[in-house]
Parts: sequence; structure tokens; C-alpha cells
Amino acid sequence: MSSTLQYDGKFALVTGSRRGVGRLITEHLLQHGAQVAGFARGEATFEHPKYVHFQVDVSDPASVQKGFAALKRITEVVHIVVNNAAVLTSQYAMIMPPAAAQAMINTNLFGTFMVSREASKMMRKSKWGRIINIGSMAASLEPIGDSVYAACKAGVSTLANVMARELAPLNVTCNTLGVSGIQSDMLAQLPKDKIAAVIAGLPLPRFAEPDDILNVLDFFASDRSSYITAQTVFLGGVN
Amino acid sequence: MLTQDAIHAIIFQALSNVNDERGPVERLDIGATTILFGTDAVLDSLSLVSVIVDVEAAVSEISGRDMVLTDDRAMSQEVSPFSDVSSLTAYILLLLSEPVL
Repeated sequence: MSSTLQYDGKFALVTGSRRGVGRLITEHLLQHGAQVAGFARGEATFEHPKYVHFQVDVSDPASVQKGFAALKRITEVVHIVVNNAAVLTSQYAMIMPPAAAQAMINTNLFGTFMVSREASKMMRKSKWGRIINIGSMAASLEPIGDSVYAACKAGVSTLANVMARELAPLNVTCNTLGVSGIQSDMLAQLPKDKIAAVIAGLPLPRFAEPDDILNVLDFFASDRSSYITAQTVFLGGVN
Repeated sequence: MLTQDAIHAIIFQALSNVNDERGPVERLDIGATTILFGTDAVLDSLSLVSVIVDVEAAVSEISGRDMVLTDDRAMSQEVSPFSDVSSLTAYILLLLSEPVL
């Protein structure tokens, strides 16, 4: 991994920054020179001189707008947004609690939309932006039990693709990083045998390592990727 | 309470921001009759979005009220609020005259 401060001078916003992939990405951006704001429902789980935490529930539009109002008090620009916040309930559709399904839609899809919407207003001024949605292999593999989760993750790709068109004149790119299986609290909710079967079926049959994710994140976020937009990159050979 | 003149000034500033992005020959003539939307509009779609975002933000900040200019109600007005600067001003004054729910 490069030790240069490739994100020096950049301000990033990461949702779901308290743990898992969100925390991994947040710490990576901080390590490489970015200032980072985190949106999450709970309190911060770590401290860093260049990290500021906002308790925001991305599933609630009023909370998102309050979060952005607070964010605008500390920065006029946001260069990079990573829409990572997500919730998962895996269950056969016939017995999926409607409230759990609604929560996935509100957080995973609508939350991504609201954060992208507000962030793009800020990016509009600086004429530079990178919106990176965290997708999932579930969108492609369509596993049993993940009807709503997979639909939401397919949705965030489509959301990015449409916003890519809308924001292209502003030099803002929108892409999706389709994560495969990574050891996380979210994955731990699922039956181990189910996960093992999915991983075994991948062209690259192993869990994702942190650097697998960060590699694609860096690619999407880099200055050199100004001609890369409306793309979904899956890890592990998923397509 | 924002006056008509104050709202005009906000919209003019938003249009001026659009002008800042344009070359000398593309600049808009800004005035109360500047057409914002429709067949004779001087704004492309993204520029209109920019104007709306700027106006919503400025009116919200100054009035202390959330201002949404593109909801169903706006779209169902007999005369589009985005016909020209005057009609947008009138629509904003209408919204501000209503009690906060």
C-alpha cells in the first residue's frame, strides 16, 4: 500500500463509519491524508484529529438534512462520499417482517439517495466529486433470503448510474463497489454454511481482504478516474 | 419576512451564479421577466436545477423555514412557478405567507 498522502486536501464523508467496511474505509482515508466526516446512528467508536462524527440516521431524510446543515458549518466542500451505511435482514420473502424490509429500503437505498442528493449540491460548487456506493455481490448472485437486500444493492448501482449522467457536467463521478464476503458484523448475522457455499461458488473462492476493497475505492476516488463513471466493480469475480 | 425585493435579489444572485459559469456571449440578461422554464427558457435543465438549489438554500437560510420549490404542489400550479423570475418570486411569497405546519 502506498504511504503517500493521496487524499491530502480532500474532504470525505463516509456513512456507517462506526464499524465494518465503513470504519475500514474511514481509517484508510484518514491514514492517507483526508479529512473525514462520518455519519452513523450511534456515537463515534474511535477518535482521530481529522475525523468528525455526526449522529445521523440516513434512513430519515430530516436527520440527513440536519447532518448536512451541521457538516456545512465545518466545511464548504465535500470531495468524496462513500455511501456505506446498510442494514441486512436475510429471510425468505414469505416470512420477512415488513418492518425489516422497509428498514432495508430506507437505509440502503433511500439513505444512499438522500446523502448523494445533499452531497452533490456541495460538489456542484467545487466542480469535483466522487460518489462511491458500496454495493454487494448479492445484487448479482441473488441469494435466497436476500430479496430486499439484493434489490436495494442493485438499486444503488442504478442510482449511481443515473446520477452519473446528471452530475457528469459537474465533474462528479458516481460508481459502485460491489463487495463480496468480508468478515464483518453484518456477515456474521448469516448462517455460516450459507456464506461458505456462496464463497465457494465465487471464481475467486475466498473472503475479501480489506485491501481488496480499498484498492477499488482508491481507483474510483482518484483524480485519474475522472473518465470512470456509472460503473459497478464487483470483487471476487462476481459479475 | 422576506420582501419581494429580497426574493428578487436571491433569484438574481442565483442567476448570476449561472452567469459566472458562462462565457461573455452566453450570459443571461437578468431581470424580473427572465424566463426560467418553457420553450423560451434561457436556462438549460442543469442550470435551472442549480438556480433552484441556490434559491431554496438562500430562502431557507434567511427565513429559517425549509423551502421546497419542486414538490407536487409547485408542479400542479396553473401558472408554473418557474415561468419567470416574477412567478417564482410570487410562489415563494405564497409559501412564506402560509403558517408553518
